[in-house]
Amino acid sequence: MTIDWWTLGLQTVNAVILIWILARFLFRPVSRIIAERQDAAHAALDAAEAAREETETARDAARREAEALAADHARRIAEAQAAAEDEKRRLMAEAHAAADKARAEGKRDLEKLRATQARELSQEAGTLAADIAARLLDRLPEEARVTGFVDGLAEAVAELPEATRASIGSEGPVTLRAARPLADGEAQQIAERLGTVLGRPPALSVETEPALIAGLELETPHAIVRNHFRADLDRIRTELARHD
Amino acid sequence: MMESPLSLEPLFHLGPVPITAPVVVTWAIMLALALFARLATRRLTLIPGKLQTVLELLVTTIDDQIRDTMQRDPAPFRALIGTIFLYVLIANWSSLIPGIEPPTAHLETDAALALIVFAATIAFGISGRGLRGYLATFAEPSWVMIPLNLIEQITRTFSLIVRLFGNVMSGVFVVGIVLSLAGLFVPIPLMALDLLTGAVQAYIFAVLATVFIGAAVGETDAAVSEQKDTPDAR
Repeated sequence: MTIDWWTLGLQTVNAVILIWILARFLFRPVSRIIAERQDAAHAALDAAEAAREETETARDAARREAEALAADHARRIAEAQAAAEDEKRRLMAEAHAAADKARAEGKRDLEKLRATQARELSQEAGTLAADIAARLLDRLPEEARVTGFVDGLAEAVAELPEATRASIGSEGPVTLRAARPLADGEAQQIAERLGTVLGRPPALSVETEPALIAGLELETPHAIVRNHFRADLDRIRTELARHD
Repeated sequence: MMESPLSLEPLFHLGPVPITAPVVVTWAIMLALALFARLATRRLTLIPGKLQTVLELLVTTIDDQIRDTMQRDPAPFRALIGTIFLYVLIANWSSLIPGIEPPTAHLETDAALALIVFAATIAFGISGRGLRGYLATFAEPSWVMIPLNLIEQITRTFSLIVRLFGNVMSGVFVVGIVLSLAGLFVPIPLMALDLLTGAVQAYIFAVLATVFIGAAVGETDAAVSEQKDTPDAR
């Protein structure tokens, strides 16, 4: 067996050339496209990772936003509840105040009504008393409705101030009202009786006033002197009303 | 006197250079591979077709083999190892074509490939370790080992030659003898076995070349584990 050195050399050159050819036209392009695909895959993975991170960031932000909204919602509910409680307390206070006011007004109205009723009752009582007194006086003699009141009238006049007493009759006749028409001489007797008190008999202008029931009333320019049932009943009624 | 079947007769001469059959077959294989590579890689896309998928599978398999064997980035060694594997494989399988004798069945072709591996081992060793560092490897584990290490460099190159030559040549011989003694279809199982043998021999030759170069280059590239999924396009 011999070695063909030409063939050996040519085959060596051939192999070297083949290595260059395949490196240039096969291995390099294929490995390059593999690398490009891996780069693209890595880029896609990076993009996906970035998108995932972005999504997580957005999700976290949304969660934080939701939590903030929930907290704000809870705070608003708490505020609304507090406001409702305040409003409720205010309305309750107002209602209580209104109720107190209404109760007070009702009490006042009741008292006023009661006073009115008492007044009416007093008036009715006065009227009834006047009626009773009138009926009783109707049973008495007619002179009793006047003569029994002359002294009282004189005493009342005597209690007037000096100046008032002095003015009685000085400016003309004074009005004397009687519960019934005076008989002859009765006006004279009354004038004389008053004269004992005033020091001079006054000139009288007699008028009949049945509303007096019984008694006399003397009206001077500066005073009215009453001594009759009507005045007594009015006074009694006034007293009753005041005590009520 | 009968000529040795191992002897080479020139088919023709190019000037003073005798051109033998292994050279012509090698040129044919080169032409076929160059055309195939040019046409197959003309329209590479990010979404590969069937052919591109096969090419990528081939390249990634070669890369994985280099990476697993050398623990280094396969890019600088891809073209050498890949070309040796493809060429030896196709050369071995060329025996299926009637009238064609595989170039690897001749000692010159195997010797040429082994010489290239030998030269590449030295070149990559010096490139990886520096001249002093590479020469220092011959004194490992002790300077006493220098003669043995030098002899090992030679003998393993010869072992590459003889292993490939012996296996392919024997396969061709056996098929030829059986073909001459029996009918046309009898050696078909042997031819199928020859295909397997050819593939195995191509793989062994490429792996041994990788191992030799890896041993010459030495220390593991620490970055290889991180680059495992990122083949260098250079």
